[in-house]
Amino acid sequence: MDFISHDDDAITEMLKVIGVDKIEDLFKDIPKDLIINGLNLPEGLSEPDVLKKLKELGKKNTIYANSFLGAGCYFHYIPTLVDFVVSRSEFYTSYTPYQAEASQGYLQAIYEYQSVISRLTQMDVANASMYDGSTALAEAAIMASIITRKNQIILLEGVHPEYIEVVNTYCWGQNITLKIVPLDKVEDELNQEIAAVLFQSPNFFGNIEDVSVLVKKITDKAPNCLLIQCMTDPTCLGILKPPGETGVDIFVAEGQSFGINPSFGGPGLGIFATKEKFLRKIPGRLVGKTKEINGEREGFLLTLQAREQHIRREKASSNICTNQALCSLSALIYLVSLGKTGLTKIATQNFQKAHYVKKKIKEIPGYEILNIKPTYNEFIVKCPDVDSLIQECKKLNLLPPLPLSKYYPEMKDVALVCVTESNSRESIEKFIKALELANNKGGRN
Amino acid sequence: MEHEFPSELKYLQTHEWVRIQDNIAIIGITDYAQHQLGDIVYVEFPEIGTTLKKGSNVAEIESVKAVGELMMPLSGKIIEVNTGLVDNPESVNSSPYGTGWMLKIEITNEGEIDELLTVEAYKKIIEAEKK
Amino acid sequence: MDTKDSLIFEKGNKKAQTNFVPKLDIECDELEEIIPKKFIRDEIQIPDIPEVEIVRHYVKLSKINYGLDSGIYPLGSCTMKYNPKINEHIARLAEFSQIHPLQEENEGALQLIHNISNMLGEITGMDGFTLQPAAGAHGELVGLLIMKKFFETKGVVKNKIIVPDSAHGTNPASAKMAGFSIIELQSNDYGEVPLDHLEFAMKQGDVAGIMLTNPNTLGVFDRQIKDITRIVHKYGGLCYYDGANLNPMLGICRPRDMGFDIVHLNLHKTFSTPHGGGGPGSGPVGVTNELIPFLPIPCIISAENGIVCSHDKFHSIGRIKAFWGNFGIILRAYVYILSLGAEGLKRVGQIAVLNANYLKSQLQKKYYLPYNRVCQHEFVLSDKDMPNEITTEDIAKRILDYGFYAPTIYFPLIVNGALMIEPTETESKNSLDNFVEVMEKIYYEALNNPEKLKNAPLNTPIGRLDAVNAARNPILHD
Repeated sequence: MDFISHDDDAITEMLKVIGVDKIEDLFKDIPKDLIINGLNLPEGLSEPDVLKKLKELGKKNTIYANSFLGAGCYFHYIPTLVDFVVSRSEFYTSYTPYQAEASQGYLQAIYEYQSVISRLTQMDVANASMYDGSTALAEAAIMASIITRKNQIILLEGVHPEYIEVVNTYCWGQNITLKIVPLDKVEDELNQEIAAVLFQSPNFFGNIEDVSVLVKKITDKAPNCLLIQCMTDPTCLGILKPPGETGVDIFVAEGQSFGINPSFGGPGLGIFATKEKFLRKIPGRLVGKTKEINGEREGFLLTLQAREQHIRREKASSNICTNQALCSLSALIYLVSLGKTGLTKIATQNFQKAHYVKKKIKEIPGYEILNIKPTYNEFIVKCPDVDSLIQECKKLNLLPPLPLSKYYPEMKDVALVCVTESNSRESIEKFIKALELANNKGGRN
Repeated sequence: MEHEFPSELKYLQTHEWVRIQDNIAIIGITDYAQHQLGDIVYVEFPEIGTTLKKGSNVAEIESVKAVGELMMPLSGKIIEVNTGLVDNPESVNSSPYGTGWMLKIEITNEGEIDELLTVEAYKKIIEAEKK
Repeated sequence: MDTKDSLIFEKGNKKAQTNFVPKLDIECDELEEIIPKKFIRDEIQIPDIPEVEIVRHYVKLSKINYGLDSGIYPLGSCTMKYNPKINEHIARLAEFSQIHPLQEENEGALQLIHNISNMLGEITGMDGFTLQPAAGAHGELVGLLIMKKFFETKGVVKNKIIVPDSAHGTNPASAKMAGFSIIELQSNDYGEVPLDHLEFAMKQGDVAGIMLTNPNTLGVFDRQIKDITRIVHKYGGLCYYDGANLNPMLGICRPRDMGFDIVHLNLHKTFSTPHGGGGPGSGPVGVTNELIPFLPIPCIISAENGIVCSHDKFHSIGRIKAFWGNFGIILRAYVYILSLGAEGLKRVGQIAVLNANYLKSQLQKKYYLPYNRVCQHEFVLSDKDMPNEITTEDIAKRILDYGFYAPTIYFPLIVNGALMIEPTETESKNSLDNFVEVMEKIYYEALNNPEKLKNAPLNTPIGRLDAVNAARNPILHD
């Protein structure tokens, strides 16, 4: 395939206008010994042939009828409106809207995204997106370090293990020290040298923390320290108190649950929202509303660009340029399609279905729910034989829960189970069956 | 483009002006600097009481298209900042030597005053930059 | 357009919207049994909106937005090439879109990542790749962290990075995020890096390396590139290639042969994945053999028993993003490379350069061309010598009136009033001729009717906006 339109006549004429004999003449500035003799790659494929090849490759990925796996990436129902809007090529083939007058459509959509995130989270201001939840958390930590002029960060246990690794890498880049601390020990570690405390709720193990109490504990002891909350499945905000009402300074989340396909973990969406007072230190793009210079009409444009890398260069607090714009458009359409009724119902179903499964598990001997705190759509279960459970799930065409030993080798008997509104009663019954079968095979009770 | 440079002030190569009043110095950016930056949208000040050496960055001046840094022309302690610029940053453009002033400092090293530029020396620097 | 009642939220009403909620098919308990009342929120401030209203609203917005499928997008340094529709179709297939990053049966996905790594290796000459970074700037950070780790393991302190004054803003910003400070070199009259200044800077002994793009942001190929990389290596530094401008080099020339140790690519530029209005992108990083141990984890490598995943943390810089990278974007680029093949990729390089020079040779007759050399994929004009004090911004806004998107303006910084034009290889001769015609018309307007440019745009849904007020009094949500 190729996407070039010129025929030979066009090329000949163009060469004449330029004033050279052949295309090779246009590469005369390149030293001769650097010019290669073509690439050692196969011939190009036509559309049907490339489709066939990819379908063959795709067969090696298993698609399950239902999933009980979460751990940072979630199966939720995606309204058809989402793909309808993001497939409009005026949106997806456009560039970053630097020329505001020709990009009012997308700019208004991003403004609406910033608004809908503000409304949902009750945080004062949201940016146009970061790469994903993990990098949003890392950049929030750096932002806190810049604001407070301190370079020590505390991270509470319960943050997604991959997120912890990412924050670690970013902090190392900036010579910021990171200390990981159990939640109940946080007060012992607080002092006036800490830039921020990072925590996740609902956390990696499913626990919902009492965020208001946690915030108060920390601000009492270290009033200048910033509080940063992250979340991996923000659909819980359909029911849970929003971060803007609990006092956190910066809220970040993985927005994949808002209308974005799992797609093997990417692209995702880094939701990033803060209190008003940190506005001029926020990384990433911001869309603002303003009026015409010579008129009364209101319009939208990228604003506060002096914070960003293309102006501030080495003095910028972040290097982010391309973000996840189309994914933020997906999230916007998801949230406005569901509306308050839909969001409340979806969150309720996640709570109810996970609760239902927990109750059923409690009836099976050999299994133990380990969460003491309330949970959303994920919880951890001690199992007689995690490997057996995984096998039984797969036989019933269910994507099994996560064996926690993947991240915590010492927790080899524990599984992280996820139940969302997309799990039908039928799939839940199958899952219970898998648990029972694994029990009979596994533990000696 | 004709810029204004009051002759009773002292200047810095990095386009700050200084008005000395006993042991206090009032600091701002020159007419040339405000023109280069364009419409000022925000000024970020340090905390009152901070002591800084001559040549350090003391404030950031943001316009729509650029960010400028205010340098300390003399070593000193920040005793006042122009909070009027929070609501009216455009004063830096319209009145860079008047209502657009930025900081007042208590001078800690009077010897540094002699190192400041006269208006003639500063004008020469502008001419060279324009070329 | 009065925005207040044209925001989506104004289209809501009191009718409950339940089109997208599955029927609840299990027995429920009281919500307060599951979650304490104090954790439960008040009403969400997002209205219910009828489905038809949502569709009309976003269709209307799409119509006042200019996309690449609408017409030429001559933005320099962005490589706005056609986004093949087959890529979109394949990315949506369930076998790719419905797979979970942590599922075990992922051989197809890992194989895909491995395959494209090999192809990118062949295209650039680099030995090993990571597909983890989510964007070019993210790739830059990765590359710089690799440099940092490389010198740390050697026990050597090198905390400076050299960039030319023509560099894209992400270069110094990324260097800072990796803990380096910047030395900026002034380009010479040819727009190239001055070797004597380079050697002087390297001699100081604390420079970790150089970040360059070649062709550079002026669109010219630095003829001394091998000398540049030789000098940096001589003093123990590493050479980083910003791959934003790789398009004209496809099948023609390779960064590895130029002497680079680390390369990042922009899949959303060179490899046709859609810009999406600002992302998502993907910024893979390729390195020489010596630097492979420093790549971020997880690293997908080929082993005797198939594709495996290495989590060897010892030398790696660590993890830089959750999961595997922007897989949906990587997949689109993979399909593109398979579609084009060796011949197709080489054709891209050739025609990208042909199209740029075709525009340049005509436009330089009217507009000032500061670096009068053969260009590669892009070239930079300036508003110097424009009649009636017409600025680059005026020209750009007037281009919008003719129904085209404007080129990149005021970048690179080393050209006053820069107007940076990159047509890419997918523009037809017709499209290029139309663009030239419009640019010529605009020049004559500048001469005879300058108010048309000063007040432009006049034909777009909205006129020039007050950016100053927007920055002084930001309104960022409704």
